[in-house]
Amino acid sequence: MEPAPISPLDSEALARVRRLHLRARTLTDSLLMGEHRSRRVGQAVEFADYREYAPGMDLRALDWRVLARTDRLVVKRFETETELPSTVVLDLSADMSTGHAGRGKLPDLEGSKAGFAITLAATLLTFLHRHGEPVGLELVGGDVIGGVRSFPSRGGRSHLQRLTAVLATARPSGVARLEDALLEVGRRSKRRSLVVVLTDGMEEPSAWLPSLGAIARRGSDLRLGLLYDPRELGLSVDHPALFYSPEGGATLDVDPVAARKVFDEVVLEHSEEVRAGVVRWGGRFTRLSSADPLENALRSLIIAGGGVR
Amino acid sequence: MSLSLLAPGALALGLLVALPLLAHLSWQRPRDRVAFGAMLLMERVVKRIQRHRRVKDPLIFALRALALLALALAAAAPQWVRAGVLPDVGGSGRVVVLLDRSLSMKMADGGASVFAHAVAKATAQVQALPAGTRVGLVAVDGQAVALTPSLTEDRATVVAALGALVPGSASTDLGAGFREARRLLAGDPGEVLLYSDEAGANTVSAARPELQRLLAAGAAVLPQPVREGAPNNVVIRAAIYGDGLEGGQVTLQIAHFGPEPTEVACEVVLPDGQAVPIFVALPADGEATAQVTVPREAEGGVGQARCEDAALPDDDTRYFHLPHVGASRVLVVDGDPGDSPARSEVYFLEKALAPWGGGQTGVTADVVPPSGLAKLDKTKHRLVFLANVGDLRGVGGRLVDFVRGGGSVVLSMGSNVAPRVYNDELSALLPAPLRGVRSLAAREEAGVPLQTPTSAQGLLAPFAASGRAGFGRVRAQRVMTLDPYADTDEVRTWLRFEGGAPALVEKQVGRGRVLLWTSSFDFDWTNLPVQAVFMPLIQAVVAELGADGGGRAERVDAEVGGFAVVPLPGSGPEPEVFDPAGRLVSTTRQGGALRFPVDQAGAYRVAITDGPVTGWVAANLPFAESDVRAPESIERAEVDLDPGVFTEQVELGGWLLGLALACFALSAWLARAGGSA
Repeated sequence: MEPAPISPLDSEALARVRRLHLRARTLTDSLLMGEHRSRRVGQAVEFADYREYAPGMDLRALDWRVLARTDRLVVKRFETETELPSTVVLDLSADMSTGHAGRGKLPDLEGSKAGFAITLAATLLTFLHRHGEPVGLELVGGDVIGGVRSFPSRGGRSHLQRLTAVLATARPSGVARLEDALLEVGRRSKRRSLVVVLTDGMEEPSAWLPSLGAIARRGSDLRLGLLYDPRELGLSVDHPALFYSPEGGATLDVDPVAARKVFDEVVLEHSEEVRAGVVRWGGRFTRLSSADPLENALRSLIIAGGGVR
Repeated sequence: MSLSLLAPGALALGLLVALPLLAHLSWQRPRDRVAFGAMLLMERVVKRIQRHRRVKDPLIFALRALALLALALAAAAPQWVRAGVLPDVGGSGRVVVLLDRSLSMKMADGGASVFAHAVAKATAQVQALPAGTRVGLVAVDGQAVALTPSLTEDRATVVAALGALVPGSASTDLGAGFREARRLLAGDPGEVLLYSDEAGANTVSAARPELQRLLAAGAAVLPQPVREGAPNNVVIRAAIYGDGLEGGQVTLQIAHFGPEPTEVACEVVLPDGQAVPIFVALPADGEATAQVTVPREAEGGVGQARCEDAALPDDDTRYFHLPHVGASRVLVVDGDPGDSPARSEVYFLEKALAPWGGGQTGVTADVVPPSGLAKLDKTKHRLVFLANVGDLRGVGGRLVDFVRGGGSVVLSMGSNVAPRVYNDELSALLPAPLRGVRSLAAREEAGVPLQTPTSAQGLLAPFAASGRAGFGRVRAQRVMTLDPYADTDEVRTWLRFEGGAPALVEKQVGRGRVLLWTSSFDFDWTNLPVQAVFMPLIQAVVAELGADGGGRAERVDAEVGGFAVVPLPGSGPEPEVFDPAGRLVSTTRQGGALRFPVDQAGAYRVAITDGPVTGWVAANLPFAESDVRAPESIERAEVDLDPGVFTEQVELGGWLLGLALACFALSAWLARAGGSA
């Protein structure tokens, strides 16, 4: 019998962010009761807005104070709070296996961007589950036992356990092909859900950023965490070397000391290019470093559109 | 400007330039391999750096190589010798101001003349000389004049002398000026401040020997700028009458010394006052030729051609010689009107005098029978042909008076000529009494040829270049023989037949001349009329004997500032010379010629008192002064003679060291700034 895989969950970080409240930027279509505002206006407790009265409307909704003050007939409208289907899209291409300072929980991926990203994804899914959200997982690239990469959002503890198990055994490999993968995710995702994309974005942004439109057009709350290794942020290699990509391609002979300034400019441009692409589709962008505490990354992704309750 | 190296061996350090090249070639690829997840970004970095490197790496290499070369050069201690550095004036305490007052200094320049600028600058310079400086003043044109007997500290005297100077019309002899300056400096060192436009093609080169002597004496010549604008002048370089015996054209050769093409209005004024206007387009710094047609009748003498030019008006007029043109001054007395052209002397003479017909060019003679000699007009006719005239009754004395008064007569023989009548009526005119007709050959035979003349002067001048052999083809069957005679100052035999018989004999009678052709001008006695020498010989006779004064008026060209030498007639009273204003000119006898100084441009007339003009002198300003461009400079000549003068030595070692450091610093900054891949 094989030993149980090591859980990628970072319980300490989870504990520190347990009081955070994820607030969706969009109104959900869900009929189930939950923490999030629904686009369905009804008789719930939270005031939504006013509307001019029309014959046939429920006279109980008339705002008598406004009538007395302005002599206008308006009715009050109220929102219903619902649950938010959430999906984490995780890039596990071979490039994610690089890095040296990542704070992941999986020993064999120690220091790598993939280790950090897997731990972040598992912890985020658990956080969402504990807040009553149905959660799903989409793996892009990488080796996955059983070959199943798409797990639609569902509630229930057993579903979360399954997702955690998948993350514990998935390993970075191959090429992400973000352009096609994100189009597919958009097609499969539920309307007006939360979609969190974790990737290093090391494919030509002009090619894959337009694919985010497939997600955005579903009315989803899109959040993208662009993950860098500290070496990639500062090119902290101190001697000339032959640089190569685990995904294949050319080997480059570079003097990092001499190229550092230009590299910093390029990183900034790349990051800004991705941010602009995400914002263009109404999403939210977070730049992550695998050397940062996981708690910070979680906090960035969770409160990007909400706040601490 | 030149460069010299004190330690040329140090240039071997230039081999260091190979070091950066070797460093580049020995560069090796690193061995470490680093898995890198952001290769997308690294590729962008490499592309960007390589874009920079395409420009920057060769630049860095060049800078380093330049730095090493500069170091090597600096080690060789180079010196740059800069030319054209004029020292401050007055340092020697002994100064001679040499002022050019030649014709070209009159050129208009910025509202005044170059000469005025020169005087103003010289005056200011004299007044600004350090106290105690001793100054002398020399004015130069065709000759040099020291206006201070020696160097003096009295600047007021020098300034006053400068103010009294006026420009002349002569050429520039800078050598004479240097010689006078050297005399004032008395062989000691000093400074010669030269105020001259240095105009003229040979002005500077002619002055080099004296300049060399002056420099050898330790003096320095410091040319001072006198001209503010660009040189500009129009001058008639030459005016020459030509083409044909009578009538023709005056050809003007006009030079323009200026940077822009221009058009000038010119005018040719003939001796009788007729004026012919013309416009001439002139190229920049070039010449143009224009021609003016002379009317069919024009007085001989000295004409003038002038062009309007405000830059230097003094040289705008050019004087030229013009012979008496067009008037029918030849009278032909036809003593034997033939029944055919071959038997008519007049026919051949008219053809010789006007080959293309009298309507175009040439001399149209008045032809009369012997009785027409009564029509001889002394004021009009200058030459009379007596062609086989037998009847001379009553006209002998008239002809003798005519010749003695300056006219000329040509006698040709024939069957009508009776020696006794000629000896009686014209004995004063004949070079020797006529003896009788002598048959040299039968009529059907070729006859006796003329001897080929050995000289080609006077009447034979047209044959100076070629054609004298043509006389050998002239043959005569009959000739008029003469009593024995000998050539003297008054009698000259121009041509003889083989065997020695005289053929063409000239005699001076009073102020006129008589020419005797001992054969005929038709086919009766000779074949002369159809020989090639006939026409030019007859035309030369008309030109020589038909001119004013009964002989050829001497035509002499002279230059202002020089002397004119006019040959005298062989006999008779000595003529006098009158300048263009009509004033009598003092002359000296030089062999068979008169010599006199020419001090102004114009027509000098040489004439016998109350008699005809025997010579003309066309005096013009020296052309060299009109070329105001100054193709050479005294400063350059001085540098040629003494390369060390007007130079400054600059040590370049420090500059090169600084350049090397700057190159190293810049290359280091470039290498550090953009990185490499």
